[in-house]
Amino acid sequence: MLNRFIDLVLQIVLVLLVAPLVNGIIRKIKSTIQHRKGAPVLQLYFDLIKLFKKNMVISQHSSWIFIAAPYIYFITVITAFIFVPVVPQLFSFGFIGDAILVVYLLALGRFFLTLSGLDTGSTFGGMGSSREMMISSLIEPSLIITIFTLGLSSKAGSTAFQAIYEGNAKLGIGVISPIYLLLLAAMFIIIIAETARIPVDDPSTHLELTMVHEAMILEYSGRYLALMEYGASLKQLILITITANVFLPFGNSVIPELGLVFPILIYLAKVIVITVIIAIIEINTVKLRLFSVPNLAALAFILALLGFMSGFVFGR
Amino acid sequence: MLFLLLIVPLTTSLLFWTVRESVRTINIINATGSAILFAVSLLNLKVVLEQGKITSDFFGGIFYIDSLNGLILFATTLVSLLISIYSIGYMNEEYKRSLVNIARLRLYYCLLHLFIFTMILTTITQNIGVMWISIEATTLASAFLVGFYNNRKSIEAAWKYIIICSVGIAFALLGVILLYYSSVISLGQTVQGLNWQFLNDNAGSLHSSILKIAFLFILIGFGTKVGLAPMHTWLPDAHSQAPSPVSALLSGVLLNTAMYGIIRIMTIVNKNMGNSQFTGSLMIILGLVSIGAAAVFILVQQDFKRTLAYSSIEHMGIIALGIGISSALSIFAALFHIINHSLTKSMLFAASGNVYLKYDTKKISKIQGILKVMPVTGTVFLLGIFAITGMPPFSIFTSELGITISAFKEGKYLAVGFLLAFLVLIFAGFSSQMLRMFFGKPHKDHGIGEMNRITPVVLLILLAIITVTGIYLPSFLEKLIKSAGDIILLVH
Amino acid sequence: MDKLAPLLNIFSVGILISTFSLVASKRIMSYIKAFRIQSLILAAVAAIFSIYYLVEENRLEGIFIIFLLTVVFKVIYIPSMLKRISVRVEYKVEKDFFINIPISIIICCGLVILTWYVVSKIPELNNGYNGSFMVQSVSVILIGLFFMISRKKAIGQIIGFLVLENGTFLTAILLTSGMPMIVEFGIFFDLLTAVLIMGIFVFRINETFEHIDLNKLRNLRG
Repeated sequence: MLNRFIDLVLQIVLVLLVAPLVNGIIRKIKSTIQHRKGAPVLQLYFDLIKLFKKNMVISQHSSWIFIAAPYIYFITVITAFIFVPVVPQLFSFGFIGDAILVVYLLALGRFFLTLSGLDTGSTFGGMGSSREMMISSLIEPSLIITIFTLGLSSKAGSTAFQAIYEGNAKLGIGVISPIYLLLLAAMFIIIIAETARIPVDDPSTHLELTMVHEAMILEYSGRYLALMEYGASLKQLILITITANVFLPFGNSVIPELGLVFPILIYLAKVIVITVIIAIIEINTVKLRLFSVPNLAALAFILALLGFMSGFVFGR
Repeated sequence: MLFLLLIVPLTTSLLFWTVRESVRTINIINATGSAILFAVSLLNLKVVLEQGKITSDFFGGIFYIDSLNGLILFATTLVSLLISIYSIGYMNEEYKRSLVNIARLRLYYCLLHLFIFTMILTTITQNIGVMWISIEATTLASAFLVGFYNNRKSIEAAWKYIIICSVGIAFALLGVILLYYSSVISLGQTVQGLNWQFLNDNAGSLHSSILKIAFLFILIGFGTKVGLAPMHTWLPDAHSQAPSPVSALLSGVLLNTAMYGIIRIMTIVNKNMGNSQFTGSLMIILGLVSIGAAAVFILVQQDFKRTLAYSSIEHMGIIALGIGISSALSIFAALFHIINHSLTKSMLFAASGNVYLKYDTKKISKIQGILKVMPVTGTVFLLGIFAITGMPPFSIFTSELGITISAFKEGKYLAVGFLLAFLVLIFAGFSSQMLRMFFGKPHKDHGIGEMNRITPVVLLILLAIITVTGIYLPSFLEKLIKSAGDIILLVH
Repeated sequence: MDKLAPLLNIFSVGILISTFSLVASKRIMSYIKAFRIQSLILAAVAAIFSIYYLVEENRLEGIFIIFLLTVVFKVIYIPSMLKRISVRVEYKVEKDFFINIPISIIICCGLVILTWYVVSKIPELNNGYNGSFMVQSVSVILIGLFFMISRKKAIGQIIGFLVLENGTFLTAILLTSGMPMIVEFGIFFDLLTAVLIMGIFVFRINETFEHIDLNKLRNLRG
């Protein structure tokens, strides 16, 4: 029991350490390609530390939701991470908690995020919240189909990530197949839409016409802002972790001799690969108008659906 | 001798670029080129009649002439000869009015002979792949000819022409790929894998279901080029907007070459299946739909070149119907109809070109008194309208009668009922719309008399041919058509 | 050849995905880019075949030249030509499609399912990997056709035609591992000329009509 608890703590610590790094890498790659020097890779860590130290300004018109939302958001994301194994060695929970729980924990967090946007009654917050809900409602079906198909195709017969990983580890090189290619394409669109990246949202702008995520957290400052930013970056890491471990299933099986450090290094390498791909996609696309987001969502949905069909309808 | 068929039009087409200023030289090159071409094709036909077929070893034998494509070749080169001579009269008139300058004249003749080259390539190849390539090449060579006048309508027509035909033909490519696939999986990968002779000899060992799909795609693809409804939409535009000699070639020759492609593949499928039920019913349905669509549009047409274009769709439908019925008589009649239609329709387009040059309009309602203004063109045009609607004594009557009788004999009463009803409608359309152009007084003073001496002579030659063949079929032609029919019917 | 099949299957799915992203894109520049990626994958398929022939049978097949031609023309030349054209004819950014994009994507998915349904009915086509090759490549052809129908601008139609053509090439390469060489070259040059001529006509349409909106080309009817 104690071992498991230690594992859990280790995993949480690991993801807390890694999450801001992902943002840093993406920013660095973008700035390098745009011939800028850019912020250092560790910038988000500095920002977070600074924000945690700062005082907060809280609107008089806000209710308890405004204060509770950052905590709820952060905690739901952390809780979701319990069910998303990062390194196979670290995960050994026996209780039930599968991909669908993860999706809806994230949805719960998003619900409070949007509520907090509405709570202060500012125009930007409301705008951001309604856009966020629109995007997430468009993208959620694709995510669910993708996860179901993953559960089916890894022959695990389960939607628990642990089982999917093990199934995929058995497949080995077999993950390079039409189903996984289609699902991977869908998954990248999902990551981009869920983590507020170009072409759906631009994380580095505060232009009122375009912002979505930034609009919702515009009223926050100090520690609450830090929690929100940290939560968002953890959520990004969840999606990247899922993608990395499912589509690059190397080192997914538990090999006791390797110890703990080596699998963690493999995991980091996988995360960096996915991160670089996301950065490249972000550089090569232009921001879509909000009303063009359904195009992208439809694409993700159809790719996921074709992935499902190519595995379980066409093959038969 | 076989290669001369390709070399002559290609050289002719290139020779125009050596000419600097002289229109006369251009005309001479044009006339000589097509005359030599016709002579060469006659020599080849003589060999075909004596030996049955001509083959060559070039690239696994992609060139091959037997009586089926010999027949098409005959029609192609004959119409090309007459139309390129007609072109001299027509384009000289345009040059005189400075509608075209010498550079464009040169371009026109160059493309015209290139177009003839691609059509001959289609005709004399037996490789289905090369056939596809050359049919696509006919589109490319004639796209600029259709858009030759560079005005709004002709550019629109050319765009439609190139897009619809290229897309249609892309489907045919899929069909060709499937055909080759079926040949690869049953006969292995060979250079000959797409040769008609090879496929026909081994038709029994191909997979029927793949062949069926391949035939469907090829029928849609080449059918677009033939102008079978509902893939016909490019045809009236292209035919009406192109310069009249080009319309004559498009209608009189191009459609036949594409039809020839369909017939070749049909024989393979028929031989594989042992009967013509599958291909026959498809051809009959497409044929009847085309005739019906043409009938409807002819009834309401305001533009005489468009009427003629729709009539081409009708006649292609009749040919498809005749081939679909697949009895000895119907195929004889359909093949004869190919020749008749190409001669009659090119005559009509040539005559309509004269009328267009004189009156400067294509609107039927603005034209009156052709017979008074241009006695020869008017008479030929009027008789041509009777010929194209199937009046005796012209040759189209004979072939249409043959198709009708064979349909009765084969018990296709429904098809024959529709055919006759549509033919009546088309006759009504032609006579109610077109005949008023010939009589009465012209609205304006256009000046009486033909514009030159060349075009009436061409028209009269064509009229003579279709009248004579309506009454008496020369024995060499009969022999050619008979043995071509045997190839389709798989009689050996 | 059977060893290659799983790999080729991946690439042909890649082409299908790029086709979908082409349908999903709204701007001319972005679908030119998607087309470029698609051609690149097609070139990769040809490259795989030519490497296979080189290694296994020690001969350089015509497909190697197809690979070179694809790279030179379809990856480099034609996309940049289309870009130049669209810059030259510079019309305003406006709605370019008849059917809005989410619905087009769903229709395209329907086309894939339709192709699958038809292919699954033909046992000779539906053996092993050939079935999925057939589904993927033929649905690319159909999506290309649909793209042509759903776009109003001339360049959109050219791109649709090119996609259709890529689909047929893919079918030819995957099903028959290359047609006879002379046929393959002839097809390639025909299609290339077709696209060039279409490009010329885009200029002419732009000159005579002052736009390239084909929806407004309605002089010839009936």
